[in-house]
Amino acid sequence: MSSNPTVPASPESPTQTPIVRVHIRQRLFSTLEGVFNEEVFFLILSVFIGIFSGLAVVCFRLAIDWTHLALLGPLPQTHSWRLFAVPAIAGLVVAALVLHVFPGIRGSGVNQTKSALYIFNGFIPFRTAVGKFFCSAIAIGSGQSLGPEDPSLQIGASIASALGRHLQISREKVRLMAPVGAAAGLAAAFNAPISAVLFVIEEVIGRWSAGILGSVVLSAVASVVIVRSFLGSEPLFHIPVTAFKRPSELLAYAALGLIGGFASVAFAKSVGALRPRLKALPRWTQYLQPAVAGLLVGLIAFLGAPQVMGAGYDSMDQAMHGQYAWKFLAMLAVLKIVATTVSFVSGTPGGMFAPTLFIGAMLGGAVGGVEHIFFPQLTGSTGTYALVGMGVLFAGFLRVPMTSVFMVLEVSGNYEIIVPVIVANTVSYLVARSFQEIPIFDLLTRQDGLVLPSLEEEREENILHVEDAMLPVSKTILNAQDYVDTSARRVQDSSESVFLVRLHPSGWNLITREQLQRLDREGKGELTLASVLPSPPLPSLYPDLPLDSALRYVNAYALVPVVNRADFHRLEGVISRDSVLHKYGSPSEGS
Amino acid sequence: MWWRLPKLVPRSGPVILLILTLGAVAGFAAVSHLVVRYNANQQSRGRKLYASGLTAASSGRYDAAIDAFRAALTCDPANSQYQLSLARALRDSGDPSRLDEAESYLVALWQRTPQDAAVNLALARVAAHRGSIDDAIGYYHNAMYGVWKSDADANRNSVQIELIQYLLKKNARAQADSELIALATALPRDPAAHLQAASLFVEAEDYAGALAQYEDVLRLQSNNAAALAGAGAAAYRMGNYTLAQRYLRNALAVNLEDRDSRQLLETAELVLRSNPFRSYISDAERNRRIAADFARAETRLTACAAQAGVSLDATGSSSPSPLLRLQAQWNAVKPDLRQLQSSTETDLPDTIMDVVFQIERRTATMCGRPQGVDLALLLISEQREAATQ
Repeated sequence: MSSNPTVPASPESPTQTPIVRVHIRQRLFSTLEGVFNEEVFFLILSVFIGIFSGLAVVCFRLAIDWTHLALLGPLPQTHSWRLFAVPAIAGLVVAALVLHVFPGIRGSGVNQTKSALYIFNGFIPFRTAVGKFFCSAIAIGSGQSLGPEDPSLQIGASIASALGRHLQISREKVRLMAPVGAAAGLAAAFNAPISAVLFVIEEVIGRWSAGILGSVVLSAVASVVIVRSFLGSEPLFHIPVTAFKRPSELLAYAALGLIGGFASVAFAKSVGALRPRLKALPRWTQYLQPAVAGLLVGLIAFLGAPQVMGAGYDSMDQAMHGQYAWKFLAMLAVLKIVATTVSFVSGTPGGMFAPTLFIGAMLGGAVGGVEHIFFPQLTGSTGTYALVGMGVLFAGFLRVPMTSVFMVLEVSGNYEIIVPVIVANTVSYLVARSFQEIPIFDLLTRQDGLVLPSLEEEREENILHVEDAMLPVSKTILNAQDYVDTSARRVQDSSESVFLVRLHPSGWNLITREQLQRLDREGKGELTLASVLPSPPLPSLYPDLPLDSALRYVNAYALVPVVNRADFHRLEGVISRDSVLHKYGSPSEGS
Repeated sequence: MWWRLPKLVPRSGPVILLILTLGAVAGFAAVSHLVVRYNANQQSRGRKLYASGLTAASSGRYDAAIDAFRAALTCDPANSQYQLSLARALRDSGDPSRLDEAESYLVALWQRTPQDAAVNLALARVAAHRGSIDDAIGYYHNAMYGVWKSDADANRNSVQIELIQYLLKKNARAQADSELIALATALPRDPAAHLQAASLFVEAEDYAGALAQYEDVLRLQSNNAAALAGAGAAAYRMGNYTLAQRYLRNALAVNLEDRDSRQLLETAELVLRSNPFRSYISDAERNRRIAADFARAETRLTACAAQAGVSLDATGSSSPSPLLRLQAQWNAVKPDLRQLQSSTETDLPDTIMDVVFQIERRTATMCGRPQGVDLALLLISEQREAATQ
């Protein structure tokens, strides 16, 4: 970045000549320019992304609240005609907008953000943010069973992408802008920066990357600060007093994890099965699908369960305070799975985070209620089980085990519950993985014809390490202080043709038998190996490094030493091109 | 297309950051304006819902009140007054399962403002509902010494009285006594406050403390009928029938319709007239009273035996009724009555009256608490027993 500020001299200054003033300004400007290298600039930009995303999410939440109040009133009552009329009519409006004005805003937005990172060089049209904002606000505000978090994530990502493109930073940085904005949007929506950062790393970026972690954290924190300054720092839920007293109760929480895992599978399979079928229907039906979904959700509400409408945070709050009997909680969990499935597969823009938490809270409360009937000695309240249940569905359905644990901790502010949460979430995650091979977001992406990397798949990969291809150390190791003629005699009868030379005080080098014999013939037998070896010395590898890292050396060197991390003089083995290729399963060129 | 951002021309880092800063400030200002307007609108809506919730709560319609307070909180989630009212409605709804939610709201409020007396009082009542005496006492104390938004002294006094009533209900007498002592020392010069304190002392069966409070009232209002009646009753319970007589007569002079005081006065006067152990009476009068009490005891014994279906003529039973044994004692002592005037034996009055007291106590147990002279004799017996102990 450069500038050439040519400032006209001001005649008012009595002490400085115009030339001096221009010089000072130029110096000041060039100093500032020097400070703003791209790395620093990117970090500062992350804060602005957080600020703008936070502002957008504040407006988004106001828009949802306002729409809800205007269309349904502050507390929807059962048996009111508005319950099914409003979401149905709003569904028609949303469908028309999605099909004609904002075609890229269907669904949650997590996949689109991930696609932007891996396929479209970080490009998300700003129009997506606008469309997502209005259509999701109408859909969620009118009662469709969807949540505001995923749209917030995409709105944040769109803002970041637009900023990145227009500020003409490097392509690599532009590509990373979307996840930075995604973290900001999600953190603002959840009021939970740690969960947002972890989710973006687990699900969007798909790998731990030190290069972007700082930016993601900065943007998440900035957006949460903005949201709290406008909407207050009230937690998402008023969690009742919870405590984990008896380790034997972990069995009860494990049972919750088991049931939650199966519920996650049922939810994911119903979404995964219905979505492509509805997308395959004729285009004209897409005008009606959100309306029919709204009608169904409204009908459920009309018949006695208005709790399933919208994000349902108030109902979760009440479930956590033991306001519902276990039968009603179980019914709400099932109805919410139905309502969210129809809302989501109809193509209505909106998120699945809040419904997932809702289903988990209801299921957890129900399981806790049943367990208390059979085991009255359990000390965990229904609210505690509801809280753990939220994490269970999050881990099982969204397949983000780390995020699920931290999310529960952040929304509850209670670290006593961490052990049950970890146990239940792990069980749920394992059950979901066993019965639903592909995580839900990857499944949706593949249904859209895209294949994106996932951290879960990377975790499953059997990564080869240097030690897997390592060969035993040769019996003949030369020293740099040895003379050429002595060394030539030592290797004369060896079956090997290449020998490692130990350098002084540390390091390794290579020499061949032919080189030694030639030097001896040339009368350089009185010289030490150190004086005839080529420089620089060989690079060294460690046994635990990925085998990929050896590839860049094995073509250049016949042997690469593998040394101990604690004692780099100690040789663990050697790597050769043949040994590496053999481990990868490919025949070497020479063989 | 209209939604595309214009290409930003500057390539200089500082300029871009300056533009972004200006944009952030402008955005912040715009969103602030929006949020302020939205909040004002929501707060207005919240106030209406809150008012309807208060109306519902005051008429005992707690479900409607809870709905209204919840709706008010959706308009203004951080409003501590709404949260407090919702918590109170949840607590007072009579549904024990709602106590958890009430408590969580209150605990959240308490964490924000631990010194808030109203929040502490609400938490004390939740703890009292749960039966957690220690928690309740702690929160009541916090409420007493916490910050009240208005009328602090009266509120503290009222909280202390509520705590005492709670402790008395839970039979925590020792704690109630210490709270009562603390209350009595800090009462304002207000007859109503002293009367209330006196009634708490009565409830705690601390009649001396009650009498002191009633006398404080009388120092402020010498003709206070409630205080005169209360002082008379307290003195009566303490066994100070002379003082009781004086206060009860004055109470009746102020309020002729006071039947309780009249009844107590009659009994007190009977005690004073029947008690042979009173000081400053002559020997003749003492002997007359003993004879009258002795005769009265026989009448009581006969009436009780008839009521209980026991024949006092029956003899030779292997397990004779206690009433028969009492009659035997009475008959055994009867000859001594004639020797009262001539005898120099100082224990004789006690011996005779001991039979009288035994008859009165036993018949009270078997045939119910007596009236009139029998009641007076029973009270004298209790007084004597307390004095000997």
